[in-house]
Amino acid sequence: MGEIVEEIRQAYASVGITLDAPAAYGTYYRLLCAGCGRMVGNVGDRLLPGMAAALVAEQFDLYASGLLGCPCGHQSERVRQLDAPRWQAARQRFAG
Amino acid sequence: MADGSGLPSEMSVIEDAERRGRTARWPFWRPAYAQGDPLPALTSQVSRPTYRFDEGEPLPHEYKELLIKMLRHEGERAGNKSFLGFMATCLDIAEALFPTAEAKLLKAEYLAEELKHAIMFHRIAVGLQHDFALRDVPYAHYAFHLPRETWADDAYFHFFVDLNGAFHARDWRESSYVPLAKMSATIERDELGHSEMGYHFLGEIVSEGRGRELARRLLLKWYPAALDMFGRSDSRNAPKFIQWGLKGVDNAEIRQAYKGYVDRKLVALGLEPPDERTNRRFL
Repeated sequence: MGEIVEEIRQAYASVGITLDAPAAYGTYYRLLCAGCGRMVGNVGDRLLPGMAAALVAEQFDLYASGLLGCPCGHQSERVRQLDAPRWQAARQRFAG
Repeated sequence: MADGSGLPSEMSVIEDAERRGRTARWPFWRPAYAQGDPLPALTSQVSRPTYRFDEGEPLPHEYKELLIKMLRHEGERAGNKSFLGFMATCLDIAEALFPTAEAKLLKAEYLAEELKHAIMFHRIAVGLQHDFALRDVPYAHYAFHLPRETWADDAYFHFFVDLNGAFHARDWRESSYVPLAKMSATIERDELGHSEMGYHFLGEIVSEGRGRELARRLLLKWYPAALDMFGRSDSRNAPKFIQWGLKGVDNAEIRQAYKGYVDRKLVALGLEPPDERTNRRFL
């Protein structure tokens, strides 16, 4: 499971989310906001290879618009740094 | 109901506790079954075997192996650390992400009911093989490991994944293993209720524009996982399960019935079911 966990860790790091220490006997991990430490979700270690990166990438617009991510705004700001035009477009699309 | 010692049996105590937990909302299975049978019929295409095996009876080697394999996948056992760990993640999600006190309480009722199942399956495990009762079996399917980053993720988890449990429990009604057949109706009813809880949450989420957009996007993550949970259509083990009477229908048949059910429910919420082949891993 080590490689999958590393994949998950890297995928989430790209949007400003860190993996906490393993919980639930090593199978699940809390997702913490890298900005303020708040719990923003959890994930298990049996994702299939390549799945974590794909899932996080597909959620770019949701982080940008604040539909996913911490109320402190850290993930939104992180994805803005990754791709400002896409961030802007997502914010406009999901406004209101 | 007393067990002969003058004391109520453990299940009657649990049933009494459940009755006292009923509210206008909980359990969600009540309104669903009040309108008739909510699940589609799962009709076996082959004659089911006429034999039955009860607890304590000698089991053919292959039969026992398949039964334990099935129960390993099911996972809800009191002695399965990974199941208890998964329940802990549900508590984490409820605490951190659920929006209202009512939603958190509903989630607590859900957890209580799943722990009841853990006792029921524990009894089956003990009756089958003592060392299986304490075996730690992490959930193998990726659907149990998908990230849950919002209340909507969790709503989809319940709507789809608990419903998978309801469909399998429906199929167990005529299981050749008597202890499983006996508890199948309770498991089916409860799991259907858990799915309805998720569906209720989804209804609240899609009632406003941003929530509807969130649900629409997250459906693309959960829908393929939900269909994948039934396994490959060409599974080599499925015919063996059917031959021994542990299942009545193959993976493709139960998946198709499930898909018809969830598609109707999604459309009723104004959500378009995704293409059934997109992002699938186990066709």
